[in-house]
Amino acid sequence: MIRLLYLFTLALCALPFVPGILGIIIPAFSWLPSLGLTTPNLSAFAAVAQWPGLTQSIWLTLFTGLGSTGVAILFCFLILKQYWNSPRWQHVEHSLSPMLAMPHVAFAIGFTFTFSPAGWFYRLLESIGFDTNGLFSLIKDQYGIGLLLALAIKETPFLLLMSISVLQQIKVNSLQAVASGLGYNHNESWLKVILPQWLPGMRLPIFAVAAYGLSVVDVSLILGPTRPPTFSILVWQWFNEPELTLLPRAAVGAIVLLAIALLSLGIIRVAEWYLLQYCRQWQINGPSRVRSNDSTNMSLLRPKRHFPSYAPFVLIPVLVIPVLVLWSFAQRWRFPDLLPSRYSLRFWQQESLSLFELAANSISLALASSLCSLILAVACLEYRQQYQRGIPNWLIALPMVLPQLSLLFGIQITTFFIPGQWYWFWVAWSHLFFVFPYLYLALDGPWRNYDIRLDQSARSLGLNGWQTWWRVKRPLLLPAIWLGFAVGISVSLAQYLPTQMLGAGRISTLTTEAVALSSGQDRRVSAIYGLLQGVLPFIFFTMAIAANRYSARFTRRTQQQRRESPDDIICGKPHFK
Amino acid sequence: MTLSVENLTLSNNEQHLFQPVNFTVEPGNVLTLMGPSGCGKSTLLSAIAGHLSPVFLLEGTISLNGLSMIEMAPDQRRIGILFQDDLLFPHLNIWENLAFGLPKTIRGTARKEKAIATLQQIGLRELAGKMPTEISGGQRARISLMRMLLSEPHAVLLDEPFSKLDKALRSEFRDFVFEQIRQQQVPALMVTHDDDDIPDGGSVLRWPWAESPQEGRGLLC
Repeated sequence: MIRLLYLFTLALCALPFVPGILGIIIPAFSWLPSLGLTTPNLSAFAAVAQWPGLTQSIWLTLFTGLGSTGVAILFCFLILKQYWNSPRWQHVEHSLSPMLAMPHVAFAIGFTFTFSPAGWFYRLLESIGFDTNGLFSLIKDQYGIGLLLALAIKETPFLLLMSISVLQQIKVNSLQAVASGLGYNHNESWLKVILPQWLPGMRLPIFAVAAYGLSVVDVSLILGPTRPPTFSILVWQWFNEPELTLLPRAAVGAIVLLAIALLSLGIIRVAEWYLLQYCRQWQINGPSRVRSNDSTNMSLLRPKRHFPSYAPFVLIPVLVIPVLVLWSFAQRWRFPDLLPSRYSLRFWQQESLSLFELAANSISLALASSLCSLILAVACLEYRQQYQRGIPNWLIALPMVLPQLSLLFGIQITTFFIPGQWYWFWVAWSHLFFVFPYLYLALDGPWRNYDIRLDQSARSLGLNGWQTWWRVKRPLLLPAIWLGFAVGISVSLAQYLPTQMLGAGRISTLTTEAVALSSGQDRRVSAIYGLLQGVLPFIFFTMAIAANRYSARFTRRTQQQRRESPDDIICGKPHFK
Repeated sequence: MTLSVENLTLSNNEQHLFQPVNFTVEPGNVLTLMGPSGCGKSTLLSAIAGHLSPVFLLEGTISLNGLSMIEMAPDQRRIGILFQDDLLFPHLNIWENLAFGLPKTIRGTARKEKAIATLQQIGLRELAGKMPTEISGGQRARISLMRMLLSEPHAVLLDEPFSKLDKALRSEFRDFVFEQIRQQQVPALMVTHDDDDIPDGGSVLRWPWAESPQEGRGLLC
């Protein structure tokens, strides 16, 4: 049974790659018999190469994608350097989940309303007597700077979350204590000791962030440059071309996007190798010890002088939500006013019917895909425990590091060949395909940490396999399952491209509507959809946390805590066993 | 270079960890601090090294060469510390680990030469290119001691440095450590709970640390 589920998962997760790749390569050579294109040729490649503004849009993609990744890595490192192991780290860690639960689309809409030239931030500037006329706008600016910043701000909490487990495996405290004994100060020891160990551990999350930034469609549609747009938007436009015989051009675009993404990941890998492996001199060229008899010293002043580097990552999302709320209730809100002059419920009432329908669509897709993923992930993890063979890590990582657009393009082409209109089914499957890796990774740690001897003793007390799982393992792992489930739901709720492409426009969710309306005229309607799109995952996260507390109530197990005081490393005695 | 501690007490909110403690360690000497588990010996070391957790309150003075250490950041105190775990940097190979400890005044290729020369001196030249995980525990312990000494510390703290080594390696490494400390002429403070660790002729401070240090183990046994 479990073996069957494992094989089924392998099939479900690996199979889409075959049509995904074939589905873009074959049409790229203009071979689509169903459309009457029967002679393979290279004309589509030529059409892409001759597209005006192609180079510029590729440069924009590289700039925003790699730039946002770089900035996010930098932010993340600075925050870790400042807060890790400090008492305030707890606050940082607690603020991560709500930040992560907020979908990109809702964040982008809120970001637009806050930082567009008529946005709340500019109103604030005006109200304190600052003339904003002609000021540089961050929204849809031609260099993609606003897009870069929004992506960087949104991705930093993700990198922070991923850093936790990486840093827990590095003996940060003790290594730092050694380094400071050798004369290295706090900043130097982070740079020369922690960074070279942290960065390789962060490879997969960084790849995921870079691939996302390079191929993102929904966020760029909302606040990216337009003339020319980033390359992924260009491909998206080609793809949506009503003239079907132009499909080969979109297929070539999808291939180029895939190539850009893979090349960029290669560049990131080479950069890491160059900095950490090739140029090693900077790591060992010694501490810049300040005069040692200088008794006026920074260590006591340091906490006061530090800029709270984490503030923007809390402030901006915190600012963005009330702005959306205000807009959704505003009836009249003239430009320099800080608050609307008249409020109204009209837009909520007007949209309520379709809101219910869309929310029901979103939730049913999310529940279906997450539940299936959960069952499959648990089955795979159990299979790994029993047979010591799990799903290869690269296979788990693939859906996270390949551009969605390229993959989905191929899959969609394939669905053309399958008769019948199974749109809901296709969409649910594509969600599952992207939800599964996140859910699997979320459960991976708890499953590894589970003490298998508990199972063994339950079996020796006379329980069979199923009873052992249900009565011993499940209650202990239930908190992790709830959180994993919420992660799955939030991933599914945020999907734009899979819903749009495999649903062929016939399946609408809050996310697809929010993106569609964001370019519309009415800010109030857009605010409602953005808000709901952002709130829905949050509700599920809150429910998961409540369920988590409820389940954990039965287990008196004290959770293993990280050592908090730097003193512990020296107090921490080996336990002679 | 003399390390001296006067009337030092550590307390958390409600109680003192130990009575005020006084001692002075001369260059090249090793003072052994003994005490039961949990009495605060390691916390005392962390206070001297500058890593004391903010939950503790420190009173008294710690000085090195007559210079007060209390307000200094750990990296400016020039006090090297050797833990029971060797704590070599896992991302650097052996000679790079040694070079990491060298002061900045040694530049460029001289850093590698010095590191290799140190390895030669302790008879481990062939380990230069290996990674920390590829060498034995005893070898790692030696490298980590040499790395600390290369950073030219003005005082050395040893936190149960031998407790993780097996019996055969222990006495050999012990002699090696004390020999190196004698050669470098730095004061050393060691905490341990094993009588065997006390060097011949070294002073010992036994729990409770109220009285002044006594000479060698011969006097006590």
